[in-house]
Amino acid sequence: MTATPNTPPPPNANPTTQAPAAPDTVTLIIDGQSVTVPKGTMLIEACNQNGADVPFFCYHAGLTSPAVCRQCLVDVKGQPKPVPSCYTPVADKMEVFTKSPRALDVRRQMLEFTLVNHPIDCPICDKAGECLLQKHYFDWNAKLARNDGVKVKKNKVVDLGPHIVLDQERCILCTRCIRVCDEVAKSHQLEMAQRGDHEVLTTAPGHQLDNPYSLNTVDVCPVGALTSKDFRFSMRVWELSTTPSVCPGCATGCNIEVHHSRGKIHRLVPRLNPAVNKHWMCDEGRFTYKRVHHDRLAAPVSAGIPVEWDRALADAGRLLRAALDANPAEVGVVMSAQSTNEDLHALAKLTFEHLGLGKAYLSGQDQGWSDDILVSADKNPNTAGAMAIGAGRLRTLLDLANDIKSGAVTTLLVVGTHGVLPADGKPGALPLEKLKTLVVVGTHRDPVATAAHVALPLTEWAEADGTFTNRQGMVQRVRAAVPPSGDALPGWEILSHLARILGATMEFADAKAVFTDAKAKLPFMKDADWGRRYLPVQLRFAGSRG
Amino acid sequence: MSDSHDHDVNLVPPTRRVVLGFQDAEDMDVPDLPTEPVPLNMGPSHPAMHGTVRMVLEVEGEKISSADIQIGYLHRCFEKESESATWTQIFPYTDRLNYISPMLNNIGYAMAVEKLLGIADTLPERAQYIRVIVGETSRITDHLTCLGASAMELGAFTVFLYALKAREWIFELLEEICGARLTVSYMRIGGVAADMPEEWGKKLLDVFARVRDVMVDISKLLDRNRIFRDRMDGIGIITKEDAISWGITGPVGRSTGLAYDVRKDHPYLVYDRFDFDVPVGSVGDNFDRYAVRVEEILQSMRIIEQALAQIPAGRFLHPDPRVSLPPKSETYNSIEAMIAHFKLIMDGIHVPPGEIYSFTEAGNGELGFYIVADGTGRPWKCRVRPPCFPATAVLGKVLPGLFIADVVPTFGMINMIGGECDR
Repeated sequence: MTATPNTPPPPNANPTTQAPAAPDTVTLIIDGQSVTVPKGTMLIEACNQNGADVPFFCYHAGLTSPAVCRQCLVDVKGQPKPVPSCYTPVADKMEVFTKSPRALDVRRQMLEFTLVNHPIDCPICDKAGECLLQKHYFDWNAKLARNDGVKVKKNKVVDLGPHIVLDQERCILCTRCIRVCDEVAKSHQLEMAQRGDHEVLTTAPGHQLDNPYSLNTVDVCPVGALTSKDFRFSMRVWELSTTPSVCPGCATGCNIEVHHSRGKIHRLVPRLNPAVNKHWMCDEGRFTYKRVHHDRLAAPVSAGIPVEWDRALADAGRLLRAALDANPAEVGVVMSAQSTNEDLHALAKLTFEHLGLGKAYLSGQDQGWSDDILVSADKNPNTAGAMAIGAGRLRTLLDLANDIKSGAVTTLLVVGTHGVLPADGKPGALPLEKLKTLVVVGTHRDPVATAAHVALPLTEWAEADGTFTNRQGMVQRVRAAVPPSGDALPGWEILSHLARILGATMEFADAKAVFTDAKAKLPFMKDADWGRRYLPVQLRFAGSRG
Repeated sequence: MSDSHDHDVNLVPPTRRVVLGFQDAEDMDVPDLPTEPVPLNMGPSHPAMHGTVRMVLEVEGEKISSADIQIGYLHRCFEKESESATWTQIFPYTDRLNYISPMLNNIGYAMAVEKLLGIADTLPERAQYIRVIVGETSRITDHLTCLGASAMELGAFTVFLYALKAREWIFELLEEICGARLTVSYMRIGGVAADMPEEWGKKLLDVFARVRDVMVDISKLLDRNRIFRDRMDGIGIITKEDAISWGITGPVGRSTGLAYDVRKDHPYLVYDRFDFDVPVGSVGDNFDRYAVRVEEILQSMRIIEQALAQIPAGRFLHPDPRVSLPPKSETYNSIEAMIAHFKLIMDGIHVPPGEIYSFTEAGNGELGFYIVADGTGRPWKCRVRPPCFPATAVLGKVLPGLFIADVVPTFGMINMIGGECDR
């Protein structure tokens, strides 16, 4: 299983090849073209999957349809009035006209109606550039205003919860956010209040919008009514480029798009993968990008002094060589469940094959909270991959602490420092100060890197190519979205250099070469696919995300 | 035009050689060395090469035996850059194609996109007339520059000053209409950026009276000038067959007798409403090219005078807010116009998927734009057919047999413009 491409193919990509007589399909005529779709499909899906573009606001593929926006009206033969296609199941021999003069006209009128009270906010609106209202107006109406009446004034800054601010004037009352809370997060926290043109979105009495999936409401909001406090006013969306990747926040491995500009990540948004996360991701996962840009180890450090890569690698090699010559049994290696399969494979190869070491340990973030929606208790993205690559040879950090205390391990190579020391920063859990030699390959300037004799800067998840294995055993592709911070290098590359200095032969041209090697040797990766090369696309030219 | 001058190529007998610096060279015992071709670099840093082209000549004495024309010194990735700019943002790039007639490049590009959009037939009439008027003034400045610069390169500096003086009068008027002399960016998809100022047409007609006087002066200075005629007549002859097979159009093509003018043969805008002649030459030499350009200046003024008499009032931009920016008063006061403005600026005009080859008569001939649209706000491919490219290429065939000094007027009369040829 690989990461799905940016725009997934519709689930029913080629319906015409299906047998027309199949009992669970119906055949209907859309704009003169005969199409066959599964029974129970909504008309709007049948239309949009077959090239008859029907606009919509309140419909969302991952939610139920209330048919409140009336933007998807189409003409159906035999029906006296245009019907909302998001609420009409397909029927056999139905004849649909999505571009009849009447259908076009009623949709244009609905847009005009929606715009009557919409504030002139585009220049200051966070959604501008990926706004469905802008898109549909431009595609379907494109007439100048006929109405210069006074717009209804509403509250422009409503604090809904820890992550979200609401602008009631911009809201077009589509209720998508309410349904996200009800159907995805399973908590009824938003409601509509008042009537007519005074109708507003508000929190349910006694609630605030604080469920763990609240930021999905910002994604589904077709306009700029709901904005994320983290993202708002930080970047214009059309300047962002998008790279498909996988969230490193927990073992679920939600598919995401990394939105970045000029080497900086600005936000993570979910990417559709029906097998993993559908349209959604949790709020916690959205903030995993912060660590990519915060307190990074920018340059190699040897004996407390920043040095060049060559010097640092030579120093690390010398220290490790001396320890290996003295007593290989006292040399331990710590692998991380935060590393990619590629880094882990290179490290396992170096540890077990080339150096023949016996003491390897697995580190990772502590367990956390979980639910039965998306969030996993295992806060590491690649525990499954690490366990499979370790193949029973990895021991716990508790074992490591005991080994160091007993003097069984005097030299340690740590690759990936997340969770090696407890989060509260209390020293002593792992008595690193007792080690004779500590070589660390790490991403951050944390206590482990500070305690190291040689610390080598490692790329974060968004800076290197690789794969993660999620809790379902799916090997999913992570892509480099931004350039490495400072002098950081990918783990497999650092380990290749170290191997060379230590006299082992382990050369890889790129991450894909490691992947190919791992795929040939590791059964759990045998069906994995590296996927195609992907150049980041600027959102302004990628079409509206909507 | 047929007063051809026959060069005597055997002025210096091969056995007699002149060594510079020795007055009594003829009396010296100079060994009869075997002749061998000498490679000679002309350009790119040579004033007559306009700083943009390099010719590697092989000369035997003064005579050229082969010429290798090397272009590309002014390559600016126009076509590649266009793929990352919105449709409207490409106008400033087109200004820099043939940079002495930028309006004509603007028009050629705008019309290509309009055909893709399917609004070419509904373009406001006033916009079409304005395009004809400013386009023809650009043709005048183009030809004036070519004539003046070429005459200067042959030593007639007065002509250069006269021609550039006339060009400057026109540039001042173009500045009045769009704010810039050269980098005009005056066209928009669907029309022009701003209406013609009041009284502008009258000022233009006043200028034309003076330009006609200048043309008379130039003709008096050059037409019967012995030095000028000797270096122009019969030099750099391009045959009609060559013009067709190399794809040469414009004044260079017409000088060979090929009466092809896009304005006549495939009328666009409102050119079919004007009465004008297409001058053609008979020999295809440098003097024919000079004479064709002089006549085209006069014909352009004739077209503009008719256009100014016919121009209707009305819109100067297409009314569809999906194509042209709504008025600012609407943009600031209604959400509809604001969205249209925003989408046009940020996403660009949504040109439906398709491809088009659209061509117009620019200063140097048929300027073509081959554009492929993929439905987004920027072109998937924007290729230019620069009219002076084939005319420059043919030099490799024309120059051998001529003298080094003949390169200057021949190259000058081709009017190779680096910005257009190299893109």
